[in-house]
Amino acid sequence: VTTVPERLGLSLPALPENVLVARQAVTGFCEALAFPVAVIENVRLAVTEACANVVVHAYAKDAVEHLELDATAVPGGVVVVVCDCGRGVGDEPGAGLGLPLIDALTDAYELEALEAGGTRITMRFRDDDARIDASV
Amino acid sequence: VTEEPIVVDGHGGVAVIRVHGEHDVATAPALRAVVQDAIAGATPVVVDLSGATFIDSSVLSVLLSGLRRSREADRGYVLVLPAEDGAPVRRIFEVTGLIPVFAIRPSAADAATAATAGTNT
Repeated sequence: VTTVPERLGLSLPALPENVLVARQAVTGFCEALAFPVAVIENVRLAVTEACANVVVHAYAKDAVEHLELDATAVPGGVVVVVCDCGRGVGDEPGAGLGLPLIDALTDAYELEALEAGGTRITMRFRDDDARIDASV
Repeated sequence: VTEEPIVVDGHGGVAVIRVHGEHDVATAPALRAVVQDAIAGATPVVVDLSGATFIDSSVLSVLLSGLRRSREADRGYVLVLPAEDGAPVRRIFEVTGLIPVFAIRPSAADAATAATAGTNT
């Protein structure tokens, strides 16, 4: 009997080197769920962009915040929540390509400002190999 | 032998920056410094992504800023990106629509020739 994980939860200091940790954890989770490679590539990149957003904003404030990631297997796919606890997400860092990429790579996504401060992004991915044809 | 994440080879009048493995917001600053140094070095620049297994938008931002500087300096600037399924990082270029923005060649040799000829579009 093979046990398939249903949920992955991570809480890490919002440091640049932890984006890799989050990416590898969510990649392993999707591999355990036997998702197609193309879907895993989308999840890896979208989760990296969401985590990078958290890290860059925590960094800009010169405060170590927490990066929280929660992935849940759902029928037909996976839902990944990345939370920037304690502060809001301001302007996007870098080339401003993060959110457009997330939009292109996910089946759906939602950004919420939390009452206690901070931002939560919820990203849904389908586990079939549907190619994304829309460019950013 | 494990290749270093970022290697610069300055032989032959072209600065070749080989990017290996996974790169994101943690390593983008180091890559930015290497790309800026290479452009300041007054030689054509090749950024070889054939050994890269993952890049995010912060790395794309570095590559775009290198492209802008190279054009300002009227200097060759060419990326190496194997065609089709040969490059794991090709997808982010496709999704962002940036393939036509960069000068891209499938091999390091082709890229060095193009960069030496001053290609940056």
